[in-house]
Amino acid sequence: MKDFLIASLLLILIISGSCDDRIDVDLPFSESVLVVDAWIDNLPGEQRIFLSRSRPFFDTLLPQFVNGASVQVIDDQGDVFDFEERDPGEYVWTPPTPEETFGEIGRDYTLNVEINGDEFQAFSSMNDVPEVDSITLKLEIEEDFFPDTSYFAEFFARDLLGSGDSYWIRAFKNGQYLNKPSEINVAFDAGFSEGGNIDGLIFIPPIRDGINPEEENPEDDNEFLSPFQPGDSVFVELRSITNEVFDFLVEVRTQTDRPGGFSEIFAVPLANVPSNIVPLQNPDQQVLGMFSVMAVNGLGNRFGDDDIRISD
Amino acid sequence: MTQRLFFSLTIIIFSFSAFAQEKYTINGYLKDAKNGENLIGATVYVKEVESGTATNFYGFYSITLPAGDYTLAFRSLGYSVVDRSIQLDQNLRIDIELQSEGIELEEVVITDRPEDENIVDIEMSVEKLDISTIQKLPPFLGETDVIKSIQLLPGVSTVGEGASGFNVRGGSVGQNLILLDEAPIYNSSHLFGFFSVFNPDVVQDVKLYKGGVPAKYGGRISSVLDVRMKEGNKKKVGVNGGIGTVFSRLTVEGPIQKDKTSFVIAARRSYADVFARLFTDILDDGAALNFYDINLKVNSTINKRNRIFLSGYFGRDVFRQDSRQGFNWGNQSGTFRWNHLFNDRWFSNFSVIYAQYDYGLAFGESDFDSFDWDSEIETWTFKPEFTYFANTNNELTIGGEVTNYTFEPANAVAISSGEVSDISVPTKRAIESAVYIENEQKISDKLTLKYGLRVSNFLYLGETTVFEFEENRVPGERRELVSERQADDWEVIESYTEPEPRIALNYRLNNRSSIKASYNRTAQYIHLVSNTVAATPIDVWTPSSNNIRPQTGQQVALGYFRNFQDNGFETSVEAYYRPTDNQVEYVDGADIFINERIEGDLIQGRGRAYGLEFSVRKNIGRLTGFGSYTLSRSELLVDGINNNDWYPTRFDQTHNLTLSAFYELNERLTLSSTFTYITGTPATFPNGRFEQRLVGDIAIPYLEDDQRNNVRIQDYNRLDLSLTIDGKKFKRGEKRKNEDYWVISIYNVYGRRNAFSQYFGQDLDVREVDANQLNAQTFANRFSVIGTIFPSVSYNFKF
Repeated sequence: MKDFLIASLLLILIISGSCDDRIDVDLPFSESVLVVDAWIDNLPGEQRIFLSRSRPFFDTLLPQFVNGASVQVIDDQGDVFDFEERDPGEYVWTPPTPEETFGEIGRDYTLNVEINGDEFQAFSSMNDVPEVDSITLKLEIEEDFFPDTSYFAEFFARDLLGSGDSYWIRAFKNGQYLNKPSEINVAFDAGFSEGGNIDGLIFIPPIRDGINPEEENPEDDNEFLSPFQPGDSVFVELRSITNEVFDFLVEVRTQTDRPGGFSEIFAVPLANVPSNIVPLQNPDQQVLGMFSVMAVNGLGNRFGDDDIRISD
Repeated sequence: MTQRLFFSLTIIIFSFSAFAQEKYTINGYLKDAKNGENLIGATVYVKEVESGTATNFYGFYSITLPAGDYTLAFRSLGYSVVDRSIQLDQNLRIDIELQSEGIELEEVVITDRPEDENIVDIEMSVEKLDISTIQKLPPFLGETDVIKSIQLLPGVSTVGEGASGFNVRGGSVGQNLILLDEAPIYNSSHLFGFFSVFNPDVVQDVKLYKGGVPAKYGGRISSVLDVRMKEGNKKKVGVNGGIGTVFSRLTVEGPIQKDKTSFVIAARRSYADVFARLFTDILDDGAALNFYDINLKVNSTINKRNRIFLSGYFGRDVFRQDSRQGFNWGNQSGTFRWNHLFNDRWFSNFSVIYAQYDYGLAFGESDFDSFDWDSEIETWTFKPEFTYFANTNNELTIGGEVTNYTFEPANAVAISSGEVSDISVPTKRAIESAVYIENEQKISDKLTLKYGLRVSNFLYLGETTVFEFEENRVPGERRELVSERQADDWEVIESYTEPEPRIALNYRLNNRSSIKASYNRTAQYIHLVSNTVAATPIDVWTPSSNNIRPQTGQQVALGYFRNFQDNGFETSVEAYYRPTDNQVEYVDGADIFINERIEGDLIQGRGRAYGLEFSVRKNIGRLTGFGSYTLSRSELLVDGINNNDWYPTRFDQTHNLTLSAFYELNERLTLSSTFTYITGTPATFPNGRFEQRLVGDIAIPYLEDDQRNNVRIQDYNRLDLSLTIDGKKFKRGEKRKNEDYWVISIYNVYGRRNAFSQYFGQDLDVREVDANQLNAQTFANRFSVIGTIFPSVSYNFKF
């Protein structure tokens, strides 16, 4: 939708003298606050939680890590998962046996963090997640703003019955995670949002198509590169998330996907993204970040010539 | 309530009649002699009593005087004065046609004084722009535009070039009532706001009420923009048109029955796509990119007592990727009006108005995978109004208004691999009604009062789904749904009634100066839900309901008006204060599209706006023009935003200076210029950043103190120039039948990169390889809508 608006506005861009340029802005930064980075899933292997502090907006050095904290996750049966500090600010839970994975679908989890006597808490649940049925590759001829022959991937999965399920779809092209803000792909049931009320269906097309990398053609500003080529591989990771995490990811995308140009006319005001971390001693204390426990299903595909579907 | 109001009305009317004996009434219409168009706001001055009246929106006047001999002067700005001596011993009907002054402006200045209307008139906080002034202003992107011109007036601003609508005295875009021949226009933009829906070729009169809003208007809390269309030449057929950078235009007008019935039909269309087709195939296979509008009006004088008008507007913007996928929006409206004279002093008008706005979006490549979404607001209005010209000192207006609303927030169907899912949001219905009474009374030669009351009511009706949300919300966060139920057809789900008193006074200090003051209260029952910087075509109007209260506004304004050099210079200073309640804001991350629970994402808060407006206008000489300076503040206070403290709105502009000048180089050349200086727009800047590794190497901005609009971006200033070259009036010694003119203009003469906004982004070229890298390069950017010199040419003709 937004892409289409922007595409339409390209015409005006041609006739008008709009421009976008870098400027220097002084952003006063007074004090950093605690950042909790606790995204845990049921994939094999260790689970990591990071504690650090926020830094000035233009800072590109590594964040300042928070050492010596006690980090613990407890499930609703009272089972405790201890996260031990390995590197500064990195707290790790190692499965007792290599086959064992973290947690169980349907359980609720509490995160407890203690730093120099200050305590922080957050809640999450591991919800169920459907299988990814298939991934296909489509050949599109003469798609506007793309090269004449372009390949688009599409995945198929069906939302679980019952409304209120949230999912996060992470896509990888040739093993590389698609990490641009505009590539954050989330679903509420099979659609975009809670108010949409699309339950139990195969994810709607914009979500299915949301696994294609967005790369501008370096030689032509008004064109994108073909997202895939035959022979490329794609991996789709479908994660169950809580509605809180859904809102967080939507807001991260809104706040960080700033392609500039005419989309600025329809930008929403900058605002803080939500956090589910609660400071226990001092309710006014600012804390950033999320605690999210997720179940994951994934599927990969390397596109041979036989996999290509020609778009009708 | 209503009954009592009508009872008091009756008493007032009778009391007026009581002292109206031994008096006679003169009434009639004032028209332009050249084309028979009605003259709105033209004055009828009675020399013997040093008083007079003005024509109403239909060009009608009525004045009642004791029997005797009088000299009447009929005048309108830009027309020669007509004097008429009468012997008043019976009721008289005098219809007058005034001759346009045309090119003899210089001489007229010497022979006749310009109007002192701004001093005499009770109206304050009102801006009038005649279309000839609008057409002389340097155009935006080569196109004369009514709304862009309005933005030059004191107290009027915009969030930026290319943004839809306008902001009046610190109000938002959705708080302006925009009327085209009485029909509300729910979205005034073409091309996302670059141009407005008004075709300048058929606009007769533009009036903006920033305050002191008459009781006949209601429904929005910020302002009223009343645009009247031309009625069509009653004398002869005329054609005019032109080609600008964006639009090509054509208007045909003329008599159907000479002096009785006339019509005007006008069309405009963007033509870039026509050219584009020659050079590219991007518009083949059903793709489209164009916008157009059509205006139509017919009016007929049936007899001396009855006139009817029918006017319509149809406009659309079409952006289609192929025959299946695209985006379009547009307004449609129709107005039927009947002017009826009950007797010499009772003028009435009945209007039936239809207005509609809709948009549609469609995606998907096949019938098995598609997404269709459209949204609509549709209204029917009936509006009776009666004006009683009691005597020279009293003019009474009573009337009412009933509007039936149908809101279809979203009709949306998603088809996913052949499975159909209807995700439509339930239709909402409402009826807004109002009754009003207003009297304009000349208390003495010096003091005129206008006082009125409007009482409005809003009924939120079934059949629809009624949502109930939690009572106590976490400030600034989404309200969770508690329950929902189905309301029956015509069930009154919620009812609101608001009194809206309106008072204005004019105290004339002398012939050259006056003091004016006004107070009004206004209520707004429908809300434009828009959380982006500029309003978009897909913003949705939503009614007041059990969850959303009506917005209300009050305004007090005080002004001093002073003319110099025989009214050659008009100056004024106005101060205003506008407190408002229940303004609509949004929770962070508000989901405003296709969301049946949208009300849970809206927050209501208070607003306050105040300012000082200085205005100068030079009407005489070769150099004419107007300038305005506004010092103002516009703020909101909303629970859960900006730490519950007041914050400036996006259109808060401390200083706003505009100067427009027109210089007649010679008979054929006019040089125009506009200069604008505006304090930088408020913006929200982050201070910090943080990351979440699994999300990726994305710097998430963080605002330490959670403030809103805490910084100002760079100041805005711009100079535009244009040269109007009138075609030769004579050809080989003979007067040419057709007129034409060229407009050559330069927008943003010194090519300043005025920022629409400053925003913060990050480099997206680097794909994460190592999950431990958290070094996304962040930057600040400035976006300018027009960051260069923008020259343009347009050609216009008339024959």
